[in-house]
Amino acid sequence: MTRYLLRRVGQSVVVLFGVSVAVFSIIHLVPGDPVRLALGTRFDQRTYDALVARAGLDDPVLVQYVNWLGNALTGDLGVSFRSGRPVTELILERLPATLSLAFGAIVVALLIAVPLGLVSALRPRSAVDYVATFVSQAGISIPDFWLAIVAILVFSLTLGWLPSSGYVGLTEDPVEWARHLVLPAVVVGTVSGAVLTRFVRSSALEALGEDYTRTARAKGLPRRVVIGRHVLRNALVPVVTVTGIQLAYLLSGVVIVEVVFAWQGLGQLALQAVETRDYPLLQGAVLLFAVFFLVVNLVVDLLYAVVDPRISR
Amino acid sequence: MIRTPRASALAATVALLAAAACSDGGDDVPVGGEEAGSGGTFVAAISAQPDQLDPHQTTAYASFQVLENVYDTLVVPNPDDLTFEPSLATDWETSEDGLTWTFTLRDDVTFHDGSELDSADVVYTFRRIIDEELQNAYRFATVEDVRAPDPTTVEFVLSEPTPNLLDHVGSYKGVAILPEGAAEDLDLATEANGTGPFRLEDVGADGITLTAFEDYWGEGPGVDEVEFRFISEPTTALTALQTGEVHWTDNVPAQRVEELQGSGDVTVETVPSVDYWYMAVNFARPPFDRAEVREAIALALDREAIADAAQFGLARVNQTAIPEESFWYHDYAPYERDVDAARDLLAEAGVEDLTMGLMVTDEYPETVEVAQVIAANLEEVGITVDIQTEQFSTWLDRQGAGDFDAFLLGWLGNLDPYGYYHSQHVCEGENNYQGYCDPETDELLERAATEADEDARKELYDEAAERIVDANSYIYLYNPSVVQAWTDEVSGYELRPDRAINLETVTLS
Repeated sequence: MTRYLLRRVGQSVVVLFGVSVAVFSIIHLVPGDPVRLALGTRFDQRTYDALVARAGLDDPVLVQYVNWLGNALTGDLGVSFRSGRPVTELILERLPATLSLAFGAIVVALLIAVPLGLVSALRPRSAVDYVATFVSQAGISIPDFWLAIVAILVFSLTLGWLPSSGYVGLTEDPVEWARHLVLPAVVVGTVSGAVLTRFVRSSALEALGEDYTRTARAKGLPRRVVIGRHVLRNALVPVVTVTGIQLAYLLSGVVIVEVVFAWQGLGQLALQAVETRDYPLLQGAVLLFAVFFLVVNLVVDLLYAVVDPRISR
Repeated sequence: MIRTPRASALAATVALLAAAACSDGGDDVPVGGEEAGSGGTFVAAISAQPDQLDPHQTTAYASFQVLENVYDTLVVPNPDDLTFEPSLATDWETSEDGLTWTFTLRDDVTFHDGSELDSADVVYTFRRIIDEELQNAYRFATVEDVRAPDPTTVEFVLSEPTPNLLDHVGSYKGVAILPEGAAEDLDLATEANGTGPFRLEDVGADGITLTAFEDYWGEGPGVDEVEFRFISEPTTALTALQTGEVHWTDNVPAQRVEELQGSGDVTVETVPSVDYWYMAVNFARPPFDRAEVREAIALALDREAIADAAQFGLARVNQTAIPEESFWYHDYAPYERDVDAARDLLAEAGVEDLTMGLMVTDEYPETVEVAQVIAANLEEVGITVDIQTEQFSTWLDRQGAGDFDAFLLGWLGNLDPYGYYHSQHVCEGENNYQGYCDPETDELLERAATEADEDARKELYDEAAERIVDANSYIYLYNPSVVQAWTDEVSGYELRPDRAINLETVTLS
């Protein structure tokens, strides 16, 4: 197990290096001059030159990359040249909001998907199944920004139950944290949940048709045990994978929902970095997203072993 | 073994979410100022997060919304007619030859850290902008020296008369006065030490908090705290305003102004701004080098429809740059829509089947809207418009490289005609992307730049503006309005045409 872990971590480092090279090349190939953008509409050659020099953009690209890599290895991701603040600081500042939303949304998604998918698999082609299929189809089709705006108009403006926007730190005020989290988490979770429901349903249906399920039934195990221990457990393997991918995706920010709820997460930060061509910030953000995917994948693989002991052998 | 803690963590989260959803339903989100007799916390929703708070380095409007309340300048624009009035400087005079300006400073001003303002701070401020070639260095091209003969006197020594020096040292907080050594002592991107009514308390991704500065030299402040929140989605910002989560916002879509004004639960005000939007064509690309072609385009435009598309009736058509409210306004509107005349001009120039690329950017959505109207207008005179919507970075690259037939953009925040006309229309102007070059206009603009007599200066600019409009160097379209909304609890707030958000005199009930 330890060797397996070490090998996976080693692979991750190679992947991260590849990602950093790719990101660096791509952002330098994309048109758009960050300094010109920082100046806004009014252009002045002297100010422009001074800014280029200050941002270190007059060095050859290769030199810039080596400098950046050297610093990154020591944990210094450089200074965002739009804000003049360290990239690490900017990312850490937004990490709690993103973690809250991503995990909140995944919890909502699982709460929707597991019961709904299971029930409709147990009663295929029943009324429950049709309703579940319809609901998940709707969840996939409805644009999240629309759902977000409707949620704000209903629960904040009309009913006044929940705040319309913003994020409050968990350590600052847990109750306000939760109150602010509910709407965005439900909106994002509904969309993810709709996707997950279909996976739960189809893998549960598959498991229901397997020989071991028939055997378990035949030897007279109570229905609860058959479903809980045999069907659900086997059905979970693909669901864990998809949940992992969903989580990693949510961790890289849900830009549109973040914008609507004024949720200051990593998605908005990365979007700003792209729009302003803030190279150091963008590199830092993309690298972090790559780390998220790698870590989530690793955790998913380890979870497989828990769900299905055959895999770890 | 693993299952149990995971299951219970899940259950706990569910319980928490459920509890949160149900907790104090009727009680609206508190906005602060609960303690009796306090000035309270004024919460403002602005549409973007400031990129950084160094007044000399940022160009973001969001930053200046905050900085307006933290820093001061030597002089400030008066909100009514946008002429300059005293702020940190009580008085100023110009030498006979116009080459020395002497400012007298207030002697009762302290910075937020308790140190007293004197002339060394002012010298330090302008030396920093000029020597480090920061954002506003271009404003001080004629400044040879900034001196401090005594603690309350500052002298600007100029290489040539600069009648608009007041604009350069006071049009906005981009030329804010810092205490000596501030850039070395503080991280100005996130820290501040100003002389304004509020001190910078906390800067974070979720918002910026300012607290009242008791030793402020002016009147006020009237509230204990100001909190800026960043809400970019207008529906969310308006909801937050209507539920009382915020007191004020400038994130109000023009199409909702009438409805909100009618609803009566919030105050919505508008005022024409000093900004203007225009179209420019590329003089280096035939046939746009021909005056007839440009005039045909100018004659084909339905300017009312364009202004309506831009801001739902809130924008005001203007065929020059400067709005009516300004001292520098010049009433000149030679173009009236005439499709036949436009066709004749094109025929005269021998132009047929002209296709014009029109570069716009989603950074400023109104350019995209306006482009549709322009395309329809020009279609009628036989010009096909190819609307090219670009990311702003690409847009700027193409503009800089001269890679365009025509573009739409605006200039924001100018107060003095030098800012409105000079670098955009002199032959070698750094912002003259369209490539207009007329020796007579050049001479008028250069003379105006150094003319000390205000009325004579205005005449020169009026004449230059007419030439610019006649040649269609810019095809001026409209001045947009500033739109802001606030709740009934707010009093003492004044909307300004330069979009400065000054909260000094605001109080909450």
